Amino acid sequence: MKNLWTRTFDELSQAWIVTLKDIKVYYLRPGMIMFGFLMPFFMFFSFSVRREMAAGEGMSRLLALTIFFTAAAAGPFIIPTERRLGTYDRLLAAPMSLLTLLLGKIAVGAFFAIVVSSVAAIVGILFLDVSVAQPALMIAGIFIGAFTFSTMGLIFGSIPTRNPGDVQMPSTLIRWVLLFVSGVFVPLSEMSTLARGISYLSPLTYAQDLMNHAVLGTGELALWLNLSILFLSGVIFLLPSIKLHKRGRVLGY
Amino acid sequence: MSHAIEVQNLTKIYPSPGKGAGFLAVDQINFTVKQGEIFGFLGPNGAGKSTTQRMLTTLLTPTEGQILILGHDLADDAYPAKRQVGLVPEESNVYIELTAWDNLMFTGRLYRMSKADRTARAEELLKDFGLWDKKDVKAENFSKGMKRRLSIAMAIIHKPALLFLDEPTPGLDVQSARTIQNHIRQLSAEGTTVFMSTHQIEEANQLCDRVAIINHGKIAAIDTPEKLKQTFQQVQSVEIAFTSSSEGLEEKLTNLPDVSTVLKIGDKWRLYTDSPPDLLPHLMKFSEKENLDIVSLNTLAPSLEDVFLQITGKQIGSVSEEPSPQKADMRRKKGKQS
Repeated sequence: MKNLWTRTFDELSQAWIVTLKDIKVYYLRPGMIMFGFLMPFFMFFSFSVRREMAAGEGMSRLLALTIFFTAAAAGPFIIPTERRLGTYDRLLAAPMSLLTLLLGKIAVGAFFAIVVSSVAAIVGILFLDVSVAQPALMIAGIFIGAFTFSTMGLIFGSIPTRNPGDVQMPSTLIRWVLLFVSGVFVPLSEMSTLARGISYLSPLTYAQDLMNHAVLGTGELALWLNLSILFLSGVIFLLPSIKLHKRGRVLGY
Repeated sequence: MSHAIEVQNLTKIYPSPGKGAGFLAVDQINFTVKQGEIFGFLGPNGAGKSTTQRMLTTLLTPTEGQILILGHDLADDAYPAKRQVGLVPEESNVYIELTAWDNLMFTGRLYRMSKADRTARAEELLKDFGLWDKKDVKAENFSKGMKRRLSIAMAIIHKPALLFLDEPTPGLDVQSARTIQNHIRQLSAEGTTVFMSTHQIEEANQLCDRVAIINHGKIAAIDTPEKLKQTFQQVQSVEIAFTSSSEGLEEKLTNLPDVSTVLKIGDKWRLYTDSPPDLLPHLMKFSEKENLDIVSLNTLAPSLEDVFLQITGKQIGSVSEEPSPQKADMRRKKGKQS
């Protein structure tokens, strides 16, 4: 039992070491800034221009967007880059399990999203005078959403390739599809039955509704449903990542 | 436990993109590496060297076979083995965005070293490898040789019991290569087992206690360099230099009795033969007849490179798989131009 605890502690420490290193190495890289920081803000402003929207509603949408795009940006950028430079081999050969390495990588994207969305929240509260209905729920929502969408990004990073471009294209395309079918730009209450049914397939729908609960104090779906589906999505997203990584080690990536 | 590495029936078949049979890269190989020895793993391009090393370091999943690293079966739990292993891949995979110091600190943390241990060891290694003055410089500003030295320092910061080196010195200047070779010897003297895959046959000859030659995915030979050389006495040679040259000299040398192959090496000619004593009188007569003064004349035992070329089925003088046209012009086998 002592060995199990020691091993678990070692593995978690390794994940944290990987996370800290990636934060230092990658957070200020152009690819991360472009896809993780600028893109959600550009998208938000391009859809918000000339639309009448309360500050609280705008902040809720911006939070969902930043969590989604920023968290999912890390995996498709960092892992293929490290494969190309050979530094990923250093991590795979280090004394830690594959799951530990993946947890470390998930935390990189999640913390990036937490930082960027916190900036968005602080700007909204301080400069736009937004009153957050449930601050604790907002913080919890940012954390759980960040980890879920970072895990989603990890799936793309796990595709066996050494070229980040091979991953960025499909990952961006899929993220855009998930964005457009979700309730971020068209609220669930204004959607047709068919559109609403499709929107339930996007985990971003639940993140947006969760943010509506937190910031506006109201949402279309039950709070427990939003939280449960976001958490389950994170777990489900992890499975193909593990499988793709194992496949990569068979193929030689 | 007397073996650092034990490999049994190790096989790797890379799956084909379609439904084909896949590519057999390593075919049922068996070998052991004793603790504390420097073991060279030689082979031409595509022979299976890197594939084998990647399987031994858990980077690649074998199709079949068993690997024991320091007594631990990698298929059961690689964690205890990984803690005692260091890896220097072919490309120096340092984090170019980090300083030399931060690269070492990161690696030390990965191997669960205490802060006191890793700072002391990092200082020792940076001084040993001549990088102490550059410890706060980002690795992106390092030369190839400096990155290589840093990469090796990162691999040995935790004092591994087993070190894997993939092509440790190609492309480096003589000074950097010597520094690295000396460190490999020092590590071995301190008890570290070194597994080194390389194209540098002379380097393997000078460093390795034993070498294995892999060809077409199979181990073709495995022994000490000297014993391997003794096995291939038929590739002895005579090296001769003349004060001047004459027209068609290469052709004439090729046509001498007992000469199997002629190779021009700088200002010298190397004549491969299975009997140097029989060839020497012919050579003396030839120089008199052609009015060529001899500057130097040496008989040479087979080198490890000769052994390698014999085993891998390459022509003598051709280490690369596809010789350049210039090299091909310089090389002439009896009766035909290669």
